[in-house]
Amino acid sequence: MDLYGTKYNEEPGGRPGLTFNSLKRSTQEQISAYLFLAPFLITLAVFFLYSTGRAFYFSFTDYNLFADPNWVGLENYLSLFRQSLFLRALQNTLLFSVIVTTVQTFLALVMATVLNQRIRGLAFFRAAYYIPSIASSVVITLIFMWMYQRRGLINYLWTEARRHAPIILLFIALVIVLQVAQVIWERRRGYPARWVDPALFLISFTVGAIGTLGAWVAGVVSVRPLPPVDFTWLATRVRLPGWAPSFLRVPVPLVAIMIQNIFTTIPTMMIMYLAALQGIPPSFYEAADIEGASVPQKFFRITIPSVRPVTFLVVALSLIGTLQMFDQVAIFGDAVPLESVITLSYYVYDRMFPGAQLPQVGLASAAAMFLAILTMLAVLVQRVFIKSEAE
Amino acid sequence: MDPRKVIALLLGVLLAGAAGAFAGGEAEQAEPDPDDPVTVRVMGYGGQDPRIKADLLENVIGDHLEAQGIRVDYEPIEDDYNTMLYNQLSAGTAADVVYIPVETAPGIIATGMIEPLDGLTDLSPYLASLNESFTFDGQTYGIAKDFNTLGMFYNKDLFDEAGVDYPDENTTWDELEEKMRAIDDLGDDVYGAAFPAQFERMGAFAFANGFELDIETGEADLLDTALVDTVEWYTGLVREGVAVQPADMGQGWGGGAFGTGDVGIAFEGAWLLGYLGDEAPHLEFGTTYIPRSPHTGESGNFLYTVAYGINNQTDHLEASVAVLEALTSPEAQQHVLEGGLAIPSREELLELDYFERDDREAVANRTIFEGAEHGNVYGFQFGEVGTDWLSPVDAALSEIMTGEASVEEALQRAQRELDELLGR
Repeated sequence: MDLYGTKYNEEPGGRPGLTFNSLKRSTQEQISAYLFLAPFLITLAVFFLYSTGRAFYFSFTDYNLFADPNWVGLENYLSLFRQSLFLRALQNTLLFSVIVTTVQTFLALVMATVLNQRIRGLAFFRAAYYIPSIASSVVITLIFMWMYQRRGLINYLWTEARRHAPIILLFIALVIVLQVAQVIWERRRGYPARWVDPALFLISFTVGAIGTLGAWVAGVVSVRPLPPVDFTWLATRVRLPGWAPSFLRVPVPLVAIMIQNIFTTIPTMMIMYLAALQGIPPSFYEAADIEGASVPQKFFRITIPSVRPVTFLVVALSLIGTLQMFDQVAIFGDAVPLESVITLSYYVYDRMFPGAQLPQVGLASAAAMFLAILTMLAVLVQRVFIKSEAE
Repeated sequence: MDPRKVIALLLGVLLAGAAGAFAGGEAEQAEPDPDDPVTVRVMGYGGQDPRIKADLLENVIGDHLEAQGIRVDYEPIEDDYNTMLYNQLSAGTAADVVYIPVETAPGIIATGMIEPLDGLTDLSPYLASLNESFTFDGQTYGIAKDFNTLGMFYNKDLFDEAGVDYPDENTTWDELEEKMRAIDDLGDDVYGAAFPAQFERMGAFAFANGFELDIETGEADLLDTALVDTVEWYTGLVREGVAVQPADMGQGWGGGAFGTGDVGIAFEGAWLLGYLGDEAPHLEFGTTYIPRSPHTGESGNFLYTVAYGINNQTDHLEASVAVLEALTSPEAQQHVLEGGLAIPSREELLELDYFERDDREAVANRTIFEGAEHGNVYGFQFGEVGTDWLSPVDAALSEIMTGEASVEEALQRAQRELDELLGR
């Protein structure tokens, strides 16, 4: 408050004039507030307001950085929708945004709920799960690109899983049979055993493992001599699933990016949910326990409604982030066919900096305006959606 | 005070300050004067280029330029050179002398920011085919600093082990295929050749087979039998496992695959020499021309090159021409060649003793040098769409090699995409 101590204003002999000190207190405060805000305001004005305005103007011209811009009206916006690459970018962006947002919001909530339990080594798990979010997205993308090679880690694990399928299936079957048998036996003896009783499970697991090992050594089951899985993750134009209508088919390389994106973003969302979960009064759950609510009932009736404001935040952030996804497409670069992974923001970049030809600034600006409006609409729609549910 | 006025005041002060700062930076057009040297900025690639330029300036041309009152400042761009060049040309901040890659030359020259060199310097000492790549509407905009073509690099040890003769300049595709199969039989992890899913390599075979491409517009008939037959042969060998895509060996390019020693043949330019020297110094290799098509009896090749051009916004036109001439002078080109770094663009240097040597690097350089006039050679240029031309074709090759589409399907789709690209 007293940053400009009153003393100076009241000094005897001080002449009224246009000095800082002669201004009214409220004006002084305003000026100093704006001065402190100035660095941010100027940056905002130059790099955001001004450039948005310019882009808006360019979107109605045929500007190419060299010739003077000519006004072409809505021509750029119309020609966007005639370009198959743009339509592909729009389709990819929408699919990417909807799928990634849905999956990662759900998984983040589930993981947060799990990590909200009192389990041994909680701090370790929380830290470990958060690591993918701290690592640089460029580095993670590069690592994933290696894993997605045709002779990469993912195809290798897939191959090994298929080769060992008989052994794995036998093991799972043995464990289930043993568990069921034990539970039935316990109940016959009059003990209240649950299907997932941990003590019995430990026995089933151990005996199942020994049994499987025995069957393997005895040659009852063996590793199948299958050829390596040759699934092309990156250099492919295949779109899955084959039974879906063509506008819902997702290009395989885009699936690869989705997996990676979900993997890296979940932890951030999880942290937000974790904070929200800790704000839910335990008495809610205690009351539900007394009423005899089941675990799923508690999750859907208490947990989900209580974290609704955070869900709004998570979904909004996720929508904005996915609609503007750019870096992973750029890094995958030549390893994937452009049309399989191109997103709207990459389309803007591709037209603005084609590298090998004259920039199509008008078209790029029109696409950028379209993307901005799409993002705002998406956030508005989901805001209305989540609000109306909350009321 | 009205807060809006405060903001206006602040912005005003800022703008005034900025204007003042820029006004001070205005350079003056000056004659070269040894006592008051002008600085000519040269913008080009990163990688080994900065070292070569520093070496040239220090040992060959620096004193000569300094006597004329010219200093050279080399500005290497490590990545995405073309984007940088476009932006700087449009912003008026580009260097005085700039690299013009052959594949993007049509677009860069279409900006109208490059000075025609006719009348400024003598263009006759340079290989005509190179000048041609930078000539548009009768005016030449760049002088090739050096060039490259593709040669066939073969691993002598694998050929010896398989008991087949080394290829030579008369080898045809059929003979090559036999040799590749023999090498492929040596082991599971051994392949006859590295065939990337890229027109950058496959194209040389297509040209040998009579495929035609209009490099000034990018127009091409991808369903021409000359191309279809080539694609069938090229991708068929990969499908059979006789040849390998470098990516499937975890390598980014054919040279990398060749460097592992498990691949009999790779098709690369002289740039492979440096890589092999560093990564596989004990690999015994030989070099010969791209094999001949059994149908036409011809070889084929790409001409890769980068030129020096002059930014027409330069304040030092005369000095820039002097720098361009010094960088492409016989002394400079000979120095670079003898360092094993690049192949000269001056016709007279063909006669150099260097090319008569029979060590493997000199043989490779000679083969690649002569590749420029051996059979059906096309500049690595695709009209104003530049390297975007390659995407539909490369995608088609990749689809065929992975078995996602038949040759016909894939090429038809590529043709549609190419037409759309050229039409926009």
